[in-house]
Amino acid sequence: MAAAVSTETVNITVNDIELVVPKGELVVEAVKRLGLEIPIFCYHPRLKPVGMCRMCLVEVGFKQPDGTVRKMPKPQAGCTLPVSEGMAVYTDTDAVKRDRKGVLEFLLANHPLDCPICDRGGECPLQNNTLAYGPSTSRFVEMKRHLPKAYPLSQYVTLDLERCIQCGRCVRFTEEISGDSQLAFRFRGASMQPSTFQLTDFESKFSGNVIEICPVGALTSAKYRFRARPWDLQTSPGICTVTPCGTNIWFDHRSGKFVRVNGRTNEGVNEEWTCDRTKFGHDFYNAADRLATPFRRDGEAFNAASWSEASQAVLAAFADGGEGVAVLVSPTLSNESLFMTQRLVRDTFKTNNIDFRPSGGLAWSERLENKYGLDPVGGTIADLEHAGSILVFGASLADEQPMTFLRVRKAWFSHGARVVVAHEVATEADSFADVVLRYNPGSAAVVAAGLRQLLAKVEGKFTPEHVESVSGVPADKLRAAAASLGENGAVVTTRRLAKPAAEILAVAAHETGRTFLHMGPHANTEGAAALGALPDTLPGGVKAETAGLDTKGILDAAAAGKLKALWLVGVDAFSLGDRDLVSRALENVETLVVTDYRPTESAEYASWLLPLALPAEQDGTYTSSERRVQHMGAILQAPGEARAQWQVAQELAARSGAAPVFSTSEVRSLIDSVAPDYASLTMAKVIDGGELLPRRGQSPHDLEKLAQTLGGL
Amino acid sequence: MSDLIQLGARNERPRAPRADELELKFSPTAVEQLDALRTHYAEDKACILPGLWIAQREYGGYLEPAAIAEVAHRLGRSYAEVEGVATFYSMYNTAHTVGKHMIEVCTCLSCHVCGAYRIGDYLKQKLGVDFGETTADGVFTLHEVECLNACDRAPVLQVGDQYHGPVDTAYVDKLIEELRGSGSSTVVKLADEIVKVHLKDGQA
Repeated sequence: MAAAVSTETVNITVNDIELVVPKGELVVEAVKRLGLEIPIFCYHPRLKPVGMCRMCLVEVGFKQPDGTVRKMPKPQAGCTLPVSEGMAVYTDTDAVKRDRKGVLEFLLANHPLDCPICDRGGECPLQNNTLAYGPSTSRFVEMKRHLPKAYPLSQYVTLDLERCIQCGRCVRFTEEISGDSQLAFRFRGASMQPSTFQLTDFESKFSGNVIEICPVGALTSAKYRFRARPWDLQTSPGICTVTPCGTNIWFDHRSGKFVRVNGRTNEGVNEEWTCDRTKFGHDFYNAADRLATPFRRDGEAFNAASWSEASQAVLAAFADGGEGVAVLVSPTLSNESLFMTQRLVRDTFKTNNIDFRPSGGLAWSERLENKYGLDPVGGTIADLEHAGSILVFGASLADEQPMTFLRVRKAWFSHGARVVVAHEVATEADSFADVVLRYNPGSAAVVAAGLRQLLAKVEGKFTPEHVESVSGVPADKLRAAAASLGENGAVVTTRRLAKPAAEILAVAAHETGRTFLHMGPHANTEGAAALGALPDTLPGGVKAETAGLDTKGILDAAAAGKLKALWLVGVDAFSLGDRDLVSRALENVETLVVTDYRPTESAEYASWLLPLALPAEQDGTYTSSERRVQHMGAILQAPGEARAQWQVAQELAARSGAAPVFSTSEVRSLIDSVAPDYASLTMAKVIDGGELLPRRGQSPHDLEKLAQTLGGL
Repeated sequence: MSDLIQLGARNERPRAPRADELELKFSPTAVEQLDALRTHYAEDKACILPGLWIAQREYGGYLEPAAIAEVAHRLGRSYAEVEGVATFYSMYNTAHTVGKHMIEVCTCLSCHVCGAYRIGDYLKQKLGVDFGETTADGVFTLHEVECLNACDRAPVLQVGDQYHGPVDTAYVDKLIEELRGSGSSTVVKLADEIVKVHLKDGQA
């Protein structure tokens, strides 16, 4: 699905060096091929050029028949000028240098020189460009303009209007990329200000990006303000574990403490953007109540204990526990931790009672890949960009899969994809959707069946009229949606969508040759499923001989007093729903072990409380919702004696006789030996941008089973 | 606004009104006109300018934030975008409320030479307001404007959709008298005339 890139090229010269570049490329991009740089402020490779700041002025001329170059009388803005045949670009003539000085002098006419107290100081394009290209003094003696400083545009973004150089990057970001159009330029001329409507709250799910693309300190992070200077920070490549997208981030830290998150470029995943959950949602690394040592309950109180005591106690309660013990794990743990935990549960605890899903997970034979042989994640985020049409069904993508949302929007904005959104409630994607299908709660499956019938051109009872009577979606709209979706494209939905609808969509996508993406909700949902953190599935997706209890079964059994011991690893049981059931379950378990990075509500019932190292405090790999395996090294040190879950699991296994495992790479070899998908990965690629797990490949079978599902509606 | 506002919880900051919180004031005629104008353009973004003229008329000459929000809501654009457009153009009155009549004194070269500032001073004295202010009774707003492109009639005044010039103090007296007497607002009339021009353009 490669884009139709023009292969036509033109010959240009840059500073008299000959160069062949694609026709239509902008001058500012073309000179990068020679390793040259044109200074910029308003230009951003991912935004449309506007030519507002004039920083990128270059001299441009054309070769005359007699071989001389005739220059245009005035300098040209390199960011809005596409190259053409015979163009001669000059980036370092005296005239250009003088122009740049002039532009910077004007930009600094009003820009306050408060760099020593500006958060951007040290990583500021205006500072850098002034140093490299600017005048050393200013001729302006007039007062600079005075405007409100440090205005809180939202709880995350602080606006300093004095520093704004009116480049419009932030305004264009909200118009072109995030699509909420929350920012606009008010007033004009020298008093032009980027701001929200009447300076009200900046309500966006991607507001953090404007802080990063602002070339000055006008938009700063409320959370990072005055916390550090950029040159004091150490930065390490990381992966977001808060969202399921596998967003690549720069993890900035100082003296072993997390400070901030910035977007890291990965064209396949997040390009360079972050969502606000990623950008501002990592504060838990600095939580004041981080656990640093194991705790044993003595009556009402928790007393610090050693890991050795804790390990013995856990083994005593769980080893060979069989049906009487169970483990719930979090799908945000690393592949290694999940694998080692399930191995411990199966080999040492001798049970299949392990689950990572909240209540209501599907059994092995009910999952798409086993029931129909259809790949639940049959495409990647990047694939969506060039899909002709995209059906977003039953998902609020901006909330659930933020990076997928940005890619769907980009497909529409940059490539003209037609988007159809079907959901019970309004979503962000409605704003650019061709057709919006708003169905009654609970009628998703009927709408899906109706769409399938139209798209796959099959007969059945789900006519648009029937769908209208059940779901409230007008018959005409359903037909319009099917027409808009055309012959091919992609179908995106998330695991939040109840089973029958997802099943129908998967089959419909298969029947009509569409890419199907059924995306999971957590950072490592895919890894947890593939590596056997399930009661009925072993690593590699192999069906277990006897199925253990799933989450609901475990809680029920615990509440009924049938469980001797329960271990919550990174899971707060109260987040699983049905608080009444959960509290009865936790009360009636003899030994409750809670492993978490800070005390949760469940911890109040615990017999043992074990400290957990967070993702950035350990080496590990994660499988994102598009099944991309990515690596994050240990960036910070875990507080005190907090340990990664794989270490805890391996120690327990080793204490009961298994061969010890000393590193995550050893764990990965163990994974490779049982999960062929993972064995095919190359670690170098996993580290550098991540590698996709091999597609399971469609091996459709039993598609007629769908009739039964449809009949049940 | 210049006070440093402490960073508080989200709900302590003002937030833009939700669609169901807007008090829509467009009359049925205005809604009809807006719908007619929308058909003139390929996309609703292009209809923001005429939409704002309708709002300026419906809201009595002053584009208050609610008026901008209403236009944005009716055209399905973001509030900020419409506000950006409205605050860019000086003929949209977004800065403060205006009187029933806006007297705009041209002070560019020709008018200046022919005594525009004498007229301006006379008006200031007569109305008791400075340029950019509105009389206490809310009838007159006085403005100084750049060239009105009517140098042959210098010194020239613009009131609503009418030019007056060349004017002298006697003419100004008479004009003020007349405007005081008239019941309708020339500011609203100007907006209405511009809306009509837009509507006619589409038919041509």
